[in-house]
Amino acid sequence: MFSGWNWVAYGLCLLLNFCSLEVSGGLVQSCGHIIPESPVLALGSNFTALCILNESCLDFGNIYANQIIWKIKNKVVPKEQYREINRTVSSVTFNDTSSLATPLTCNILADGQIEQNIYGIAVTIGLPPEKPKNLSCIVHQVSKLIYPMTCTWNPGRHTFLDTHFRLKYRWPQDEFPDCIPKDVNNSCTITDVQFFVNLEVWVEAANALGKAESDRLVLDPIEIVKPLPPHNLSVNSGILPTVLKLSWENLISGAVMKLKFNIRYRTTGDTNWIQVPPEDTASPRTSFSVQGLRPYTEYVFSIRCMKEDGVGYWSDWSEEKTGVTTEDKPSKGPPIWRIIDASDSPASWTVRLMWKTLEPFEANGIILRYEVTVRAKSSLSSPAEKYNVNTTNLTLKLPNGTYEVTVIARNRVGASPPSVLLIPASNSKAPVKNVRTLPKDGKLWVGWTAPNSYVLKYVIEWCLVSNSSDCIIEWQNEPGNVQGTYLRGDIKPFKCYLITVYPLYADGQGSGQSVKAYLQQDRPSKGPTVQTKKVGKAEAVLTWNHLTVDEQNGFIRSYTILYKTVDGNETAVTVDPSKTEYTLSSLTSDTLYTVRMMAYTDEGGRSGPDFTFTTQKFGKGEIEAIVVPVCLAFLLIVLLGVLFCFNKRDLIKKHIWPIVPDPSKSNIAQWSPQVPAKHNFSSKDQMYPEGSFTDVSVVEIEADDKKSFSEQDLKPFDLLKKEKSTSEGHSSGIGGSSCMSSPRQSVSDSDEGESTQNTSSTVQYSTVVLNGYRDQTPVQVFSRSESTQPLLDSEERSEDHTGGGDGTTPRQQYFKQSGGQDETNTDRPCFERTRQITPTNEGDLVGFAQLQISGHSSQLFGLGLEKNIQEAALPDVLQTSIEGQTVRPETVAGNPPSADEMPKSYLPQTVRQGGYMPQ
Amino acid sequence: AGQPAQTISSITVPMGHHWVGAHRNTRLSPCTGVVPFVALLLLQRRPVSGRALLVTSSSCPSHSLCRSNVQEQTRRQVALLNATAQDLFSLYLKCQGEPFSSESDELCNPSGVFFPAFRVNRTSERKEVMVAMYKLFAFLNASLGNITRDQEELNPTAKELLDQLHNTTKTTRGLISNLTCLLCKDYNIFQVHVSYGESSKGKRAFKKKQQGCQVLRKYVQVIAQAARILLPHLTPP
Repeated sequence: MFSGWNWVAYGLCLLLNFCSLEVSGGLVQSCGHIIPESPVLALGSNFTALCILNESCLDFGNIYANQIIWKIKNKVVPKEQYREINRTVSSVTFNDTSSLATPLTCNILADGQIEQNIYGIAVTIGLPPEKPKNLSCIVHQVSKLIYPMTCTWNPGRHTFLDTHFRLKYRWPQDEFPDCIPKDVNNSCTITDVQFFVNLEVWVEAANALGKAESDRLVLDPIEIVKPLPPHNLSVNSGILPTVLKLSWENLISGAVMKLKFNIRYRTTGDTNWIQVPPEDTASPRTSFSVQGLRPYTEYVFSIRCMKEDGVGYWSDWSEEKTGVTTEDKPSKGPPIWRIIDASDSPASWTVRLMWKTLEPFEANGIILRYEVTVRAKSSLSSPAEKYNVNTTNLTLKLPNGTYEVTVIARNRVGASPPSVLLIPASNSKAPVKNVRTLPKDGKLWVGWTAPNSYVLKYVIEWCLVSNSSDCIIEWQNEPGNVQGTYLRGDIKPFKCYLITVYPLYADGQGSGQSVKAYLQQDRPSKGPTVQTKKVGKAEAVLTWNHLTVDEQNGFIRSYTILYKTVDGNETAVTVDPSKTEYTLSSLTSDTLYTVRMMAYTDEGGRSGPDFTFTTQKFGKGEIEAIVVPVCLAFLLIVLLGVLFCFNKRDLIKKHIWPIVPDPSKSNIAQWSPQVPAKHNFSSKDQMYPEGSFTDVSVVEIEADDKKSFSEQDLKPFDLLKKEKSTSEGHSSGIGGSSCMSSPRQSVSDSDEGESTQNTSSTVQYSTVVLNGYRDQTPVQVFSRSESTQPLLDSEERSEDHTGGGDGTTPRQQYFKQSGGQDETNTDRPCFERTRQITPTNEGDLVGFAQLQISGHSSQLFGLGLEKNIQEAALPDVLQTSIEGQTVRPETVAGNPPSADEMPKSYLPQTVRQGGYMPQ
Repeated sequence: AGQPAQTISSITVPMGHHWVGAHRNTRLSPCTGVVPFVALLLLQRRPVSGRALLVTSSSCPSHSLCRSNVQEQTRRQVALLNATAQDLFSLYLKCQGEPFSSESDELCNPSGVFFPAFRVNRTSERKEVMVAMYKLFAFLNASLGNITRDQEELNPTAKELLDQLHNTTKTTRGLISNLTCLLCKDYNIFQVHVSYGESSKGKRAFKKKQQGCQVLRKYVQVIAQAARILLPHLTPP
C-alpha cells in the first residue's frame, strides 16, 4: 500500500519536473537531441543517429537511454537497430538509407507507458552528382563582333538534391567568372569569347553530397564558330544568257576567319536545289558567277559559309534572292500536229494545224509570234504560203495533196529551228504495233513496238472518252528512238482514254494504232439495270443495257447475274461483258424471283437495282393443250344438244313454248243454230258477213284460289284493260256477252264500286260453239241462252261443268276478236272482259262473279270507229248500268286509272258503299 | 623549356587604371548605336606605367593550354590587330570630331607620346622578338583600356568605336596570354619589364582624345611592323 502511493507521488513529481523544465526560462527545452542534425544522406548508404538525453532529465525524470524508442514517421524502428551507448545516449543504425524517411524521432517510454517525444530530425536522402558528360560548345555569331559561346552537357542522373552546375573556363593564366545556368542544368552561354586563345572549359556539379567535374575541354573558340550567313546577297544578270553573278557581304572579318561557301540555286517553282560544286567556292570571296544556266529563266539563290578549313559549323542558309537570265533565241521549234477533216468536200481538206507552246527552257524568252509556212509538195513551183500567227493553231482549207508545213517560233533574240510536218494524202506507211498502256507513278505510260522503218518521231494522240463531252484531242511528240512515254497532260483516274500512236517518217506518216486505257480503275459507279424480256415457266430471258463509259470507271470484265427466290439461296451466273441478254433456266414455276446484276471491273463490282419477276404457272402450250379440247368438247355437246332439240322440237315446243292462240285471228265459227234468229244481229250480219268473222281465239285462264289473278298473270290483260279503259269499257262479255250480246245490262270495268248485282231480270247467255281454232281443239262452246236465271250461279255451275276436267279451278274464257281489221283496229278491240271477283276475306265469296259487260251492239261492232267514238259510248253504258244499280264508275274519261290500279279490275272487288256484292 | 627561369624585368607599380565594361544604352552613329553594350571582359589588372607582370609564380602557367597551336594563334592575333588597326584609328578620328578628323596628322603625331620601343626586325632573335612583342602588347592593352575608358566617357554613344576598342583590347589580352605561354614554354621566361607611359586619367577631354589619337596612330604603325616581323618567327618549321 505504501509502495503504491509512492509510485503515484513519484509520477506526480516527474510530471511537475517536466512542467517546470518546459516553462523555465520561458522557452521550451528538450530533454535531448539527435545528432547529426538534419543530415543529408546518400541513398543506399548506412546511417547512424544518436539520441543524447540531457542530464537534467535524468535527474528529474529517471529517463535513461534504454527507454528510448526510435521512430520513422510513426513507425517504430526495430530495437535490433538500437544500441545503448551509455545511460544517456542511444544510437540507431540503418544499413540502407532507402528505408529512412522524415522525420526520424527519438522518443522515450516514461512511466505509465506514456510515450514522449524527445527530438526529431529531418533526413534528406539523395545522390551525389554524377560527372557531367558529353560537354560540347559552339560559338554562335550574333553580330560582326559578338560571339557568345554555348556549352551543353549531360548532367547525369537525378540526385534528388539541390545540385548546382557551373561552367568553368579559363585561359592559361586567367580565370574567368563561372557561367551559371539559368533555369536549366545542362547548358550555359558565355556571352563573349576571345578567338585565338586556347580556352579550357569544364563543368562542375555540386550538391550536399559532393562535387563532380566533367572532363576538361581545351579549345580555341575560333574552331567552333557557327558564323552568320553572308548577307546582302544580290543577283545580277551577266552578259551571257546562261550566267548570273552573285555578290554578298561576309559578317565575319577575313582576319578573324577565312570562309568557304556553299551556293545553291533552283528555278522558281522548282523545289529541288542545285548546288554549285563546293570546290568552286572553297576560298574566301564575296562574289561568284554561276554558269550553265538556262536563258530567260528565273533562279533563286542562297548561300552559306563556314571556316575555310572546315573546322566549325556551317552557317544557316542566307535569305533567298532571285535573278533572271537574259533571253536567247528559242532552242527548238514548237511540236506540231494536225487534224484533217475531209468531210466537207472530197476535193479538199480542212486542216487544223496545232503546235504547242515551247517550254520556257526551250523558248528562251518571250515568243512574239509563230511563222507558219505551207508548201505543196506536188507542185514545187508554186510558192509557199506564209502565215504569221500569234496563237498556237491555224486552220487552212487545202486541196487534197501532200504538204510540208513548217513552224518557227520567234522571240526578241531570234528564231527557233523550224518544225516540219508532212501532211500526206493518206496514212500509207507502216504503223506501230502492239500499243499498250501501263499506269505508273500516277501517270499513264504508253508503249509500242516500233515499225521496221526509221521513224523520225511519234505523235501520241489521246482524248477522254465520255458520253457527256466530245473527244477533245490532246497530243504530244516523242522522238523516233523511243518506244514508250508518259502522257503529258491532265490524265484523270477512272476515265477512259483513247490513245493513238502515229509514226512519222521522213516522207509521210503511218496510220494510227489505238488503245483504250485507264490511269486508274475503280468499281463501276452503278450496276446494270436488268429486266425481263420474257418469262416462262422455268426460264426467264433477262436483258440489260451496257453501262455508259462514264459509269464504267474501268474495263468491264464480266457481269454477274444474281437471282434468288424469296427464301432461297442466291445463285450467281457470270456473263460475258459483251452480252446484253441472258436466259435463266431451271427456274421453279409460279415463283417470285429477285434478280440483280453486277458489273465488274478489275477493281470490283457494283450491283444494279433488284428486279423481281414471277415465273409462269403453265408452260408454253400447256394452256392451249387444255383449253382446246375443252372447247371442242363443249362445242360437240352443244351441237348434239342442238340436234336433239331439233329432233324433239315439237315435244319441246309443246312443253316449253306452247303455241298461244292469237285472239286476233280467232273467229267464232258458228253460233248456235237454234238461236240465231233471236239475236239482234242484223247489224252484225251486215257488218260481219259469214265467213269474215271466223278467227276466234280462246284463252283459257285457270283461276286459282289465290294465285289465279296474280299481277303477273294479269299483265297481259293490263294492256287490254288499258285499252278498254280508253275505250270506255266497250267490250263484249265473255260467256255470251260479246259484242253481239243482247242488250242486257252490263257494268263498266271500273275498278271500284262496281256492282255485280245485275238488276236486269233477264240475262242472255250465249254459248260459243267452237269449230276450233285452226287445229286446236275448242275448249268450250258457248251458245246463246235465253235463260233468265240469275247469271252467276248458273253460269258458275255451268262453268264448272263445262270447264272440263278442272273442277276446282274455274276456267274463264276470253274472246279476242279479230275482225280481220287492220292492226289499228285490233289495238282497240271491241271485246268484253270477264271480271272475276275472287273472294278475299269473306268466306261467303265462294266463287267468282263473272260479269258480262256488253255494250251496245251498234257500238260494239263499230270496231272501225275512232276512239273518241268509243269513248263517247261509255257514258251510255254507264248510264245503262246506273239505271239498275248504284254503280259508281271509277273510270272516267280524262282520269284513267293508273297502271297499278289496272289489275284491280280483275281482282276480287272490295265491297264499297253502294258497291257490288258477290252473289 | 629546360632553361633556367629568367627575370626580364620586375617593377612593382601600384595598380593603375582599370576599366571595366559597363552596360549602357546609347544612341549615335556611325560612332554610335542603339545596342545594350555588354562589355564583358574582364578586369584588367595592368599598371598603366612602369609595370611588369607576367606571372606571379616562379613557374609558367598551365602547360596544358600552351599547345602547339599557340604560335599560330599569336600570328593570327597580330594579323587580326593589324587588319583592324587602321579602321580603328579612322573610326576614332571620325568619332572625335573636329579638329581631329581634319587635323589628324598634326594633332595625332605620336612623337609627343610614350610608346614602347619596338626595335626588332625579321632577323632578330625569336626570343627577343617575343619579349618585344610582349612589351608592346602589354602597353597597348593598357593604353587601349584607358582609351576605351575615356571614350566611354567622351563618346558614350559611339557604339561601333567602343565595340572595336573592346575587341581590340580583348585581342591584345589574348595575345598577351599567348605570348606569356610562348615565353614560358619556349624560354622559361615568366617576368618581363614593361613601361606604360603616362596615364590620361584626370586630363582634359581634348588631351584625352589627343593622347588616344597619338597612341592609336602609333599603334597602327607598329602593329604593321610587328605583323611583318612576327610572321617568319611564328611560321611553323
